[in-house]
Amino acid sequence: MITTTDLLALLPLIVLSAVAVIVMLAIAVHRNHRLAFLLTVAGILISLITVPLVSDLVPRLITPLVLVDRYALVFTVMAYAAGLVAAVLCWEYFRVREGHQEEVYLLILTALLGAGVLAAAHHFASFFLGLEILSVSLFALIAYPLREIRALEAGIKYLVLSGVASAFLLFGMALVYAETGTMEFAVLGGRPGTFPSVIGTILILVAVGFKLSLVPFHLWTADVYQGAPAPITALLATVSKGSVFILLLRYGLESGVFRVPVVSVLLALIAVVSMLVGNFLALRQNNVKRILAYSSIGHMGYLLVAPVAANVVGGNLAAEALLVYLAAYFAMTLAAFGVVTVMSPADREAEELDDYTGLFWTRPWLATVFSVALLSLAGIPLTAGFIGKFYLFAAGSQGALWMLLGALIIGSGLGLYYYIRIVFQMAQAPAALQARPEARPVGAHLVLAILLLLIFGLGVYPAPFIDLLHPEINVPKQSAAQQ
Amino acid sequence: MLNYLGLIPLFPLIGFLILVASQGNMPRRWVPWIGAGSVGLSAVLAALVGIEFLSGSLEPYRQTLWTWMRVGHFASGFSLYLDALSLNMMFVVTGVGFLIHVYSVGFMADDAGYARFFAYMNLFVFAMLVLVLADNLVLLYLGWEGVGLCSYLLIGFWYENPENGAAARKAFVMTRVGDTAMAIGLFLLFARLGTLDIQALLNRASAAWPVGSGMAALAALLLLGGAVGKSAQLPLQTWLPDAMAGPTPISALIHAATMVTAGVYLIARTHTLFELAPAVLQLVAAVGAVTLLIAGFTALTQRDIKRILAYSTISQIGYMFLALGVTAFSSAIFHLTTHAYFKALLFLAAGAVIHSYHHEHDIFRMGGLRKRLPIAFWSFVIGSAALTALPFTSGYFSKHEILASAFHAENGFWFWAAGTLGALLTGIYSFRLVFIAFFGPENERASEHLGFAMSVPLILLGALALLGGFVSMPLGSVFPRSEPGELGLIAGIFTDLAPLVGVGIAVLLYLLRTYPVEALTETRWGDMLHRFWFSGWGFDWLYGKLLVNPFRWLAAVNSSDIADDIYRGIAAASQYAHRAFAATQTGQLRWYVAAFTGGTVLAIALGILS
Repeated sequence: MITTTDLLALLPLIVLSAVAVIVMLAIAVHRNHRLAFLLTVAGILISLITVPLVSDLVPRLITPLVLVDRYALVFTVMAYAAGLVAAVLCWEYFRVREGHQEEVYLLILTALLGAGVLAAAHHFASFFLGLEILSVSLFALIAYPLREIRALEAGIKYLVLSGVASAFLLFGMALVYAETGTMEFAVLGGRPGTFPSVIGTILILVAVGFKLSLVPFHLWTADVYQGAPAPITALLATVSKGSVFILLLRYGLESGVFRVPVVSVLLALIAVVSMLVGNFLALRQNNVKRILAYSSIGHMGYLLVAPVAANVVGGNLAAEALLVYLAAYFAMTLAAFGVVTVMSPADREAEELDDYTGLFWTRPWLATVFSVALLSLAGIPLTAGFIGKFYLFAAGSQGALWMLLGALIIGSGLGLYYYIRIVFQMAQAPAALQARPEARPVGAHLVLAILLLLIFGLGVYPAPFIDLLHPEINVPKQSAAQQ
Repeated sequence: MLNYLGLIPLFPLIGFLILVASQGNMPRRWVPWIGAGSVGLSAVLAALVGIEFLSGSLEPYRQTLWTWMRVGHFASGFSLYLDALSLNMMFVVTGVGFLIHVYSVGFMADDAGYARFFAYMNLFVFAMLVLVLADNLVLLYLGWEGVGLCSYLLIGFWYENPENGAAARKAFVMTRVGDTAMAIGLFLLFARLGTLDIQALLNRASAAWPVGSGMAALAALLLLGGAVGKSAQLPLQTWLPDAMAGPTPISALIHAATMVTAGVYLIARTHTLFELAPAVLQLVAAVGAVTLLIAGFTALTQRDIKRILAYSTISQIGYMFLALGVTAFSSAIFHLTTHAYFKALLFLAAGAVIHSYHHEHDIFRMGGLRKRLPIAFWSFVIGSAALTALPFTSGYFSKHEILASAFHAENGFWFWAAGTLGALLTGIYSFRLVFIAFFGPENERASEHLGFAMSVPLILLGALALLGGFVSMPLGSVFPRSEPGELGLIAGIFTDLAPLVGVGIAVLLYLLRTYPVEALTETRWGDMLHRFWFSGWGFDWLYGKLLVNPFRWLAAVNSSDIADDIYRGIAAASQYAHRAFAATQTGQLRWYVAAFTGGTVLAIALGILS
């Protein structure tokens, strides 16, 4: 039975759905890019405001499907904020391009909805639903510039591979269900140690690994990152991967699969190869979007330290490390793709390394933001990326995961090379003075300034952010009592 | 008022940021207002904070600005700590620092890098304030490295001349040797005591380690390594004379008044730790005594006006180390303070001479400047009198305290004798400079055009050098109370007379030329000794033979480096790995699906096999 309080606790998701419907109707009645954009921004802002209102009601289990707790709410805020940034970038990006632009906001809203559901998912059904809401929105978003062959190609690739992954996921869930008779994470607690359900669990992790572009399920990453419009890539890199990671940690902790030895060995292996392969792939790459794609593979590998360490250090520290790193990763990734978006002229995207030659002389502000984002991605102290990495290190060393930390150090060393390479490129003398584009993307610059402040703020004075992030991930007892 | 403490380092930082952000495009007449004004604001605020602190109970005041990170047991915060010791240092840094900034407004007025100069100076003052106000050793180390960086930047300020760059590098590398020891010391302290918060650390050290324990000695020794590097004491003293390549206000601020005394501050700050290691304290005193003599003898023979002052700085810091070594901590800090007054005065006066005299540094090409440069002359007389510790100048009080404390310490007679001999030498070399440069026949025309900005700081510092000895900080609240004992009649007479005798010798040798000094230096032994002392006791030669040349030889032999092969190998392997992995990125969907499925099969196989 759903009570009024339950509905209130779901307010962030309900409001966002309502906004999606309103935007859809608005597009049907009056096609206007500005209107759709403003409605979306206002809608996301209202949804964000509801989060502090409901934060007193949590943790709350609403039907066996959804568990709204601090952990979910913190990530919801991050995802919505990232969606807001992506919307602003889309406005700047699509406004100078041809074609219908309005539906992109609708799709961003539904993608955020999927991410919100995933963050609160507590059951295989809501897991699958959230993932599909998110993925289907992304298919359309990636292939949104219909007349561009590369975008279409990227969309098809993502669609087909996602389909394969979803098939694995469903089959894995079925295997687990066949063995245990339940689809609730918490009820699985400690039981998935037997044969068919271990295979099922591995299949579920394979699907998750695909979404997170972990090695060896990573091959799509660079092509899709490159083909998708830059603001959509930003959304894909942050919201999609972040929400799946949030889900992975909750699923693992509540169902106890991290305690199954073969699963933790598998995760550790995947983490190590992801850190190494991702960074190696980025090493001599000359396409900025591909560099960021490969580096994201490495970053997802680093992040995997948190779930692997969770067995030893406990769920709370793992969740805190995960959220801190994700917050930093969101800020720096969005800033990097934001610069790519602003740099792109109307007819193409500024994705080659040569496009950035001498940026410090021609457009110093963008070069500064990009450098800070890259240095933060490299984990230089006094930036957010350093604090995030420090957390992972603390979790990893408390969990005595020396192999993982070794790979993390090697990966970071490699990362420094290709991040600094971009900074060098920007510091070189410009080849020829390029004409500045006429459009002055004020909104994007504002967003970049805020992200820059966040990267420094998290790096220099992280304490208040970390207090806000303090997740208090739920322990399965509560639902056990309901049984 | 006390809670404004955090603003004091902030002003110079803001000044630095403004000057840097303007990228040299700021109108020239604004630069001094920001550069010197920021430090002036700090000085005023420091005075207000100081008055409130001194009128209170002298209880230490802590201000945590924020916690940088806290993970596990390690917490590192931006927190400041104010007691009489750090207040004393803060006064010196902001007060003397401000006067030097004002002086620089005039001195650097024609320099192309005007804004850059003030930017570095402001950054230096910020870092120095962080160093003296830090409540934990991490923050102190930040300031410590910050002042080192600024010292490097400012020694090489006129970077067009490669010699200046070399001097800057030498200073940086030499101090780095000490800093490495200090960093190891910090790691050791954290590993053993579990904190780097200075007060907690000292408490835990005295609880955990008995007096004379090996671990305390090791930790103190490592910190001493950092201190001798920064303060240019034996055996790391050779960088300071070369550091005179920087503009003269830099020599006054960094290489006389503040940064080089950071080592003294460090030992005073962690004196509890050093008291647990009496053997190390004896070493500190011995280092000080030997350094002050070596530097004193060297100063006798130098010709460059700034190098004379540089060696005298090394020598005076030797006195401070001597005082620290005999646990007369407050005397050391007292001497640090008076030394800041009179040495800044001397350097600024030297700057005035150089400024008025076509950038001439050689005192033997000067002469008879007394009439032409009256302000510089009187500044030099006052400064030299205080340096020599003539009665009732500021230097007299502080040096007398040190010698009296040394006399009563263990092995005190020898320390006292070294100090007294040093005082004699100080008298000779200080007034040798004054007599040669300012008296005698006029060699060349020079005219004093100092302007308001340069003369006012000279006059104020002159007053401080004369009278600064009558005021002292209540350092008894920080250090264990130790009254400098009475010297007794004979020792007292020796102590008081030594500087006067020194001045007398200088009068005979250089002013009246009753016994011309050439008679001494032209004998065979005298000439050898002269050259030996002139080279700074051959330390540069020795280090060259012992360290630099073998290193160069090794580098030459190994020019296609074995060690490099490792790195080249890593780079090649990385590139190979990159190519190998990049080959998997075919862009073909069927291959992607196959790889995906293959990966899944592997994962399932792992599940079945386990």
